[in-house]
Amino acid sequence: MISVLICDDSLVARKQVAKCLPQDWDVAVHFAKHGEEALKALAEGKGQVLLLDLNMPVMDGYQTLKGINEKQLTTKTIVVSGDIQPEAKERVLALGAIDFIQKPVSAADLAAVLHKHNILALAEEMHAGGLDDALRDCYQEVTNVAMGQAGDHLARIMNVFVKLPIPNVNLIEVSELHMMLSDIEMHEQTSGVCQGFLGDGISGEALCILSDSSFSDVAKILDIQEAVDDELQLEMLMDVASILIGSCLSGFAKQLDMQFRQGHPVVLGQHQSVEDLIKLNKNNWRKTLAIELSYGLEGYNVRCDLVLLFTEDSLETLNSKLAHLLEE
Amino acid sequence: MSTTNALDEILEFHWMMDMLQTVDVGIVVLNRDFEIKVWNGFMEAHSGKLPSDVRDKTLFSLFPDISETWFRRKAKAVFELRTRAFMTWEQRPYLFKFRNFRPITGTEPFMYQNISLSALVSATGAVDHVCMMVYDMTDAASAKKQLLALQVEQSEMTQTLR
Repeated sequence: MISVLICDDSLVARKQVAKCLPQDWDVAVHFAKHGEEALKALAEGKGQVLLLDLNMPVMDGYQTLKGINEKQLTTKTIVVSGDIQPEAKERVLALGAIDFIQKPVSAADLAAVLHKHNILALAEEMHAGGLDDALRDCYQEVTNVAMGQAGDHLARIMNVFVKLPIPNVNLIEVSELHMMLSDIEMHEQTSGVCQGFLGDGISGEALCILSDSSFSDVAKILDIQEAVDDELQLEMLMDVASILIGSCLSGFAKQLDMQFRQGHPVVLGQHQSVEDLIKLNKNNWRKTLAIELSYGLEGYNVRCDLVLLFTEDSLETLNSKLAHLLEE
Repeated sequence: MSTTNALDEILEFHWMMDMLQTVDVGIVVLNRDFEIKVWNGFMEAHSGKLPSDVRDKTLFSLFPDISETWFRRKAKAVFELRTRAFMTWEQRPYLFKFRNFRPITGTEPFMYQNISLSALVSATGAVDHVCMMVYDMTDAASAKKQLLALQVEQSEMTQTLR
């Protein structure tokens, strides 16, 4: 069940916000009196959604948002405040809040904001599962093997130990992709590459996103002596991306007894927030199967995220190929 | 009967080679020592070097502008891991300095190139050669550059208006 944390120093305000939550929304509600309590609750996993006041004793809303970033807590924060200066709104959005609601909050306002960011749908999705458990397990296992190969390739070329993550497999909607990507990089600047692939009626895109703070370490690993300018960073990004995407896709395809053709990679942008990096073609698709992998290198400050996205119309073929694998 | 089959095969091989020669993509095959084994019509026309001029010579001796350490690093992953390697015009505008295919009406002085390197698996299953493909991206590049220039101009205009 999704949990909602309401943080406000006033009891009246807490009750009022709680009353405004959508009636049919099946959530666990938690409360906090100030930022410190909120951060503690978030660290305990209470609050996938945070409704946050700004002016509070002990720790105010701005400090709380900073704390969330520093501690890399994952929550979707909606600020609920009486401070309606445009500057206040700009500042909280810059600090990572997803939206701003003016006090006193009304049920309609809150519902509109929750709807806008697709938070209600997210809850349903989590509830319903979205993807058959056996099938999800199968995707996860196939990806595990593929990413193991990709990691091994990266390790051999770079001579480092690659920390392998557990792949995250989900059927997601357009707007959720944005949320997922913003979760990946906690407001850090990133550079990314995307590459289309297709084969046997299955098509999709691979995104490789490298956080900008990784570049100096990647240069060290690749033994690059020159000053790391934009051009060189792009070069490194392309190299890391082609190894990861190429070997992960070939590992994936091999298990399904097929082959993917890769298009030429396209640079999404350099030194931008993920939000700016990905301009989604929202009209063209509704749902996608997303496989999320985040690689790290032991002893280095390198974060690299690989996301494989399969189109909705590929799913049938993909599922039947996997079903075949399950039978054997 | 079998002689006609053999003849057909030779004829087929002939037009396949012809296709390789005429396709509007540069095709270069290199061995592990980076000696040129195939140099198609596109490469010949744009570089002015005949296949007989380049055959068995190393890429680096013919094009001293290409950094050997850099290119070897790129090709290492292709030979060892059989993954494709890519170079985009955004990364470096060109690998081979060819003139713009439209020398009169084109706005760019040289050809922007996208390059991909892929492994060629031999009959024994080993990778002894890589295939380099060179695509002409000049139109896309100049369109993107124009767009960026417009965006900069526009943001400057809004700033002066403020």
